[in-house]
Amino acid sequence: MRNRTKSSAEGVTRRTVLRGAGVTMALPWLGSLSAFAESAAPVLPKRFAVLFMGNGVNEDHWGSGGSGAEMKLSKTLEPLEPIKHKINVIHGLFQKRATGHGIHPAQTGCLLSGSEIQRGAIIHAGVTVDQMIANRIGQDSPQSSIVLACEQPMTGFHETNYSMAYSSHISWQTPDSPVPNEVYPSLAWDNLFENRGSLRNMSILDRVIDDANALTRRISSEDKIKLDEYLASVREVEKRIDPNRKSKEAAADLAKQRNRPVFSMDRPANGLPEDLREHARLMCDIIAIAFQTDKTRVASLLLARDLSAMYYPFLEVREGHHAASHNNLSDGYERISRFHLSQLAYLATKLDSMPEGNGTVLDNCCLMWLSNMWIGRKHDNTRLPLVLAGGLGGALETGRTLDYVNAGDDNRKLCSLFLSIMDRMDVKLDRFGDADSRLARM
Amino acid sequence: MHRADRSLTLGAPIGLSRYRQQAAFVILWVHAFERAMRGTGIAIVCLMVLISTTARRATPAQFPDADLERTFTQTVRPFVTTYCAGCHGGTAPAAQFDLKAYSSLSAVVRDYPRWNLVLEKLTAGQMPPKGMKQPPAEAKQAVMDWVQAVRTNEAHKNAGDPGPVLARRLSNAEYDYTIRDLTGVDLHPAREFPVDPANTAGFDNSGESLAMTPALLKKYLQAARDVADHMVLTADGFDFARYPMLVETDREKFAIQRIVGFYEHQPADFADYFQAAWRFKYREALGEPAATLASAAAEAKVSPKYLPLVWQLIEEPPEAAQREVGPIAKLQAMWRALPPPPADSAALHDQCAAMRDFVVRIRKDTGMQYSAPIVAGLPAGSQPLLNWKLRQFAAHRRESDPKALRNDTDPPLVTPPIPKYPGLHREAAYRWAALIDKSRAEDPDLVVPHAERDRYQASFARFASVFPDAFYIKERGRYFPDDSEDKGRLLSAGYHNTMGYFRDDTPLMELILDEKGCDELNRLWQEFDYEADYTARTWVQYFFNQSGEVRGKGAESGSPRPVDREITDNSVIMEMRDLYLAKAAADPNNDPVAPEAIRDHFQRVNDTIGAVERLRREAEPHHLDALCRFAARAWRRPLTPPEHDDLLAFYRSLREKGGLSHEDAMRDSLVRVLMSPKFSYRVDLVEAADAAQPTLRRVAAVAAPVTGVPLTSYALASRLSYFLWSSMPDDELSSLASSGDLQKPEVLVAQARRMLKDDRARALAVEFGGNWLDFRRFEEINTVDRERFPAFTNELREAMFEEPVRFLLDVMRSDRSVLDLLYGNYTFVNPVLARYYGMPVPSGPADRWVRVDDAGQYGRGGLLPMAVFLTENAPGLRTSPVKRGYWVVKRVLGEAIPPPPPTVPELPADEAKMDLPLRQLLEKHRSNQVCASCHARFDSFGLAFEGYGPVGERRTQDLAGHPVETEAVFPSGAQGNGFAGVKAYIREHRQADFLDNLSRKLLAYSLERSLLLSDDPLVERMDRLLAANGNRFSMLVETIVSSPQFRNKRSPAAPEPSPVLRGDRKGGG
Repeated sequence: MRNRTKSSAEGVTRRTVLRGAGVTMALPWLGSLSAFAESAAPVLPKRFAVLFMGNGVNEDHWGSGGSGAEMKLSKTLEPLEPIKHKINVIHGLFQKRATGHGIHPAQTGCLLSGSEIQRGAIIHAGVTVDQMIANRIGQDSPQSSIVLACEQPMTGFHETNYSMAYSSHISWQTPDSPVPNEVYPSLAWDNLFENRGSLRNMSILDRVIDDANALTRRISSEDKIKLDEYLASVREVEKRIDPNRKSKEAAADLAKQRNRPVFSMDRPANGLPEDLREHARLMCDIIAIAFQTDKTRVASLLLARDLSAMYYPFLEVREGHHAASHNNLSDGYERISRFHLSQLAYLATKLDSMPEGNGTVLDNCCLMWLSNMWIGRKHDNTRLPLVLAGGLGGALETGRTLDYVNAGDDNRKLCSLFLSIMDRMDVKLDRFGDADSRLARM
Repeated sequence: MHRADRSLTLGAPIGLSRYRQQAAFVILWVHAFERAMRGTGIAIVCLMVLISTTARRATPAQFPDADLERTFTQTVRPFVTTYCAGCHGGTAPAAQFDLKAYSSLSAVVRDYPRWNLVLEKLTAGQMPPKGMKQPPAEAKQAVMDWVQAVRTNEAHKNAGDPGPVLARRLSNAEYDYTIRDLTGVDLHPAREFPVDPANTAGFDNSGESLAMTPALLKKYLQAARDVADHMVLTADGFDFARYPMLVETDREKFAIQRIVGFYEHQPADFADYFQAAWRFKYREALGEPAATLASAAAEAKVSPKYLPLVWQLIEEPPEAAQREVGPIAKLQAMWRALPPPPADSAALHDQCAAMRDFVVRIRKDTGMQYSAPIVAGLPAGSQPLLNWKLRQFAAHRRESDPKALRNDTDPPLVTPPIPKYPGLHREAAYRWAALIDKSRAEDPDLVVPHAERDRYQASFARFASVFPDAFYIKERGRYFPDDSEDKGRLLSAGYHNTMGYFRDDTPLMELILDEKGCDELNRLWQEFDYEADYTARTWVQYFFNQSGEVRGKGAESGSPRPVDREITDNSVIMEMRDLYLAKAAADPNNDPVAPEAIRDHFQRVNDTIGAVERLRREAEPHHLDALCRFAARAWRRPLTPPEHDDLLAFYRSLREKGGLSHEDAMRDSLVRVLMSPKFSYRVDLVEAADAAQPTLRRVAAVAAPVTGVPLTSYALASRLSYFLWSSMPDDELSSLASSGDLQKPEVLVAQARRMLKDDRARALAVEFGGNWLDFRRFEEINTVDRERFPAFTNELREAMFEEPVRFLLDVMRSDRSVLDLLYGNYTFVNPVLARYYGMPVPSGPADRWVRVDDAGQYGRGGLLPMAVFLTENAPGLRTSPVKRGYWVVKRVLGEAIPPPPPTVPELPADEAKMDLPLRQLLEKHRSNQVCASCHARFDSFGLAFEGYGPVGERRTQDLAGHPVETEAVFPSGAQGNGFAGVKAYIREHRQADFLDNLSRKLLAYSLERSLLLSDDPLVERMDRLLAANGNRFSMLVETIVSSPQFRNKRSPAAPEPSPVLRGDRKGGG
């Protein structure tokens, strides 16, 4: 039996710490908890993450040429220079169903699903690629996916009469309902390591065992046999959850040894991290730890939504994100684009510093960074900026520029890329969205 | 034995299957025993008692044990030694069946199912086999009588034994139905669960078969989470929605749909009022002289509050009417022109519609017009300004715009050019005003005599006070009130990008809704804000995305992230207000109403956010009360005080120690309630007695009657509701359980009658009928080749499934003779099935089902020729007389047939490729004696159905073009042709089999266990009462629910069980 009082005492401590700790933030690095650092197993899990920024990039500064050591990266892509041998810059892909229905929400609502979306009061889109992967491989990890955002959703209507929900959510688990975005790093952390998910189930199951035990005293012996079956099942499920609790406890211990709180940020509703730089970095850290410790294998991070209202005083841009995108050839907007791309670089570098098997965690990942537009001032999404990082355990060759700009519409489908990625994650589908063929030259 | 004669004609070996089933049962118990070994010692002891069948009590019986024991020693053993033990004895007994091993009566009783086999073999003359020494007839008869006597003795000795009804989890179907009734939403959380196994009686609702595994438990957890995700907190409790309630848009959708649904259900069509007024006016001519306006309103389903107002306006004394001018005079003229009774109803309807159209036109053209106040530097779409406009519209819907009228002396109006839609953030009211001006200019009814302008104006005003220009606004685009674009934003305020809603329904409240309706609508709006928190969220979105407008940064700019403060705080809101007020004061040309509009807006935002926050705090205790009520319903009995405290303690620990929000803690508490075995298991607690009957348990313990001790009232309520509804008890049943009245047999029977009429009784048709007749999973079948049978669509498959459900439900609800199932010359069809059957097609959608009488002319009627059974018992590209016949004999008539031996010749898969008709191929098969012994018992039933093809379609040729023959020789030697022949044969020879089988199946289903020998007397009673009461279905249900088996459970000092019978009919039957 586990000692319930112990864990609750800990909870009190944590809350106390959290209340007192102010705004300094610290995430424990869980080297000792890495799920596969020492693994000799030949098959390591493959992970997928998507990072999204709305409203396109500065097209003058977006480009790459050549492959391998010769690969040249343009200004916006510069942050990726140190790990360019582990990325693929893909030019010219597009999402056909995101074109021709007006600007903004319709350009985002089907970006990752390739489905038709519905105008008006009833929201209807499609299951997105990250959630499709989560549905197929998610049961192998405590959380099937994590869906994070640095910006709160909007839920009104755009002038095109599409709901702003399409602009605010990139991950859809069912056609009727997006996955709730987690915007608070602290709650995202809790999700993975503390109260949510499996551990919340644990406290429920504890009580269920109490119920069953209480009941057993009041029933006949033959009924008891049936109930024992139930109890045994509950205990079995608890046993499978238990390692999560242990890793949480270990994380807390580790932090204590270093004389640092586990995670010292106020929980909502006290607001988001004041500084977007810190916010984005924390979200990337959480994804990195989640991947490293195999808490989940699928993540999505909305850095700035479509029609974003983010401000970037630290980049010396006076306008908000969306307004700035209407002048996307400006230096300011280039800095905004580069800032968001640097999050990919940060996450990839972080994952690349985590040994796993014979390589690093990044080697077993596919991180996809993309936007819903190419040129913000024209709302042009006839091609999209897109970068992949990570090699999916050798299944995906990296260090390349892949150009499909002139490949013809049928051969430059975003959904074809999704099929290709899913193939390499052992999620084999005949078709996805509007595609039934894989992307050539992948 | 009143059925012994039948057993002679029908007798056949059924022993093999029984043997296997018995073995399976023993294995189950061995598993249980092993589990018990790992558990407590007490369990082992009790189990030993349970397994033991040593007779412990001397009960008066027709055949005292001593007599039977004597006969066994003197007659049966010598018979066995002489005629049987040669093979069935020694070291390697034939069929592993050692008859010499039975040394006493008790040994025989313990293994009775195998002795039933002995009886069957002797009856059928199959043992001793030909060529062996044959016993004299009297000796054989004596042994047969003895075996029967043992059964009768056992049956009566333990008659009424409630039997071992094990604790069991809800079946998948029950789980789904229970969640539906618990939450009010049909979520089907069990759709991901693996299929439940059936028990030996063929039902998936018994503890014998329903097991739990860790994998299933995980699915339970997922299902419980799924259900909890649909929970939405309301001001006074919680509710469940059809969608998960996790994302903001889901909550909005839920609340909006409730409000819009409410609006759309209100009687707001003027034409209906005119028609109701007409009925009232002519009440005497229409034969309703006592009618009042209230009764007329009730009959027409219009508002009794509004009808008198309309009546007063249109029906005035002649002298008053003569003085009317303008729209009232015109409407009254139309009113007077309505034809008196007997009026052609279509004409009346049209004229009332014309009156309505007149009212609507006048009101549209005279509606008050508003635009947002102009403030230099602010867009017209600015929320404080736009809301002012919306508020003006909402406040003046019962007024007539004086500017709409023209004097007859005025020159004709020049209609203005209509401007284009303005850009974003700009006021569109000017375009709308131009459209309205145009419409007014073209409306002759707005021209009034110059001299009488005031009189006319008064008429327009009174007209408008009765007829609002709208009762409510349910959608707004961004150009409101010009809604020609951007439809479909329900309740929206029409803001750009940010969310926002606006309520405009005062005329509905003032004119149509009664007090209760007003309260309900107010509550829905309050809950909308409570659930979706829309005022606060609109504020937040506006703050971050549009408040930049006041700082001159443009309408699509907001504020950066605030630091260290809540933006819904009063100070932030008022600070923003002051910025707007400063803007309004900055330019003398600004609309003077702007400051008021601004103050009003921010004050409302501030007050509403505060009120919702307050409501939220106040609601938490209500939520916890609701949680406890929910748990009591989920657990199907009141919570004990410790359970109550424990549940609240769990919630508190989630909040305080787990750091969860209120809502998350509520959701987890729901999951905890649903994961408890108190929800997912049906357990009859050992406390036998209700509080009302405190002495029962002691009495029971002393007497330990074979009929057990009464179930608690709550357990009885559950047993009844899971029998008839496959779901939890409803409020009525629970309150009868609470008062203890349910224990009264007459109350129990009355409840059963009530429940059979309820919609939920469909579960009995689907779950009992579907498992009994084996069509429960028909909708999953995919054996039909859709290219060869293109008519077989999903819709047809659905309709085929539905036909027996409708039929059974009709027999149950209308309490018809259960023989209708066999002989009823009617069935039920929807348009899809009617077309398929070649019957007249009812008009309407696919869910319109009608009864078809005289179905025989289409080759249908009753269960037997339903396409669902004919299709399911055909392997795809041909028919299968074997499977169809087997289905009739086994499922309908209840005859047990052993499974075929492993080596049977395959029939060709495709009828179209057969050289010989199937009939002749089967004849060849039957020429083999081994095959014939079984096939003779059922092939004929299937052959008679050869007039129906592989998907149940009528036919005269098989797929290879051979003409089909439907002649059959039934087991008794009787001849018959086709479906009619089957019916005639059953009526003459097998009807009692059918009835007995139905009784047994229904009893096994209701008791949630396999039948025991000791259930025989109850089955006989069911058969008897059925026959005496016109075979009405209710007799079966009433006899069951009145029986001790149903109402009691075994006493804790349990009697030994009598041998299990698995619902088989009696020896040789």
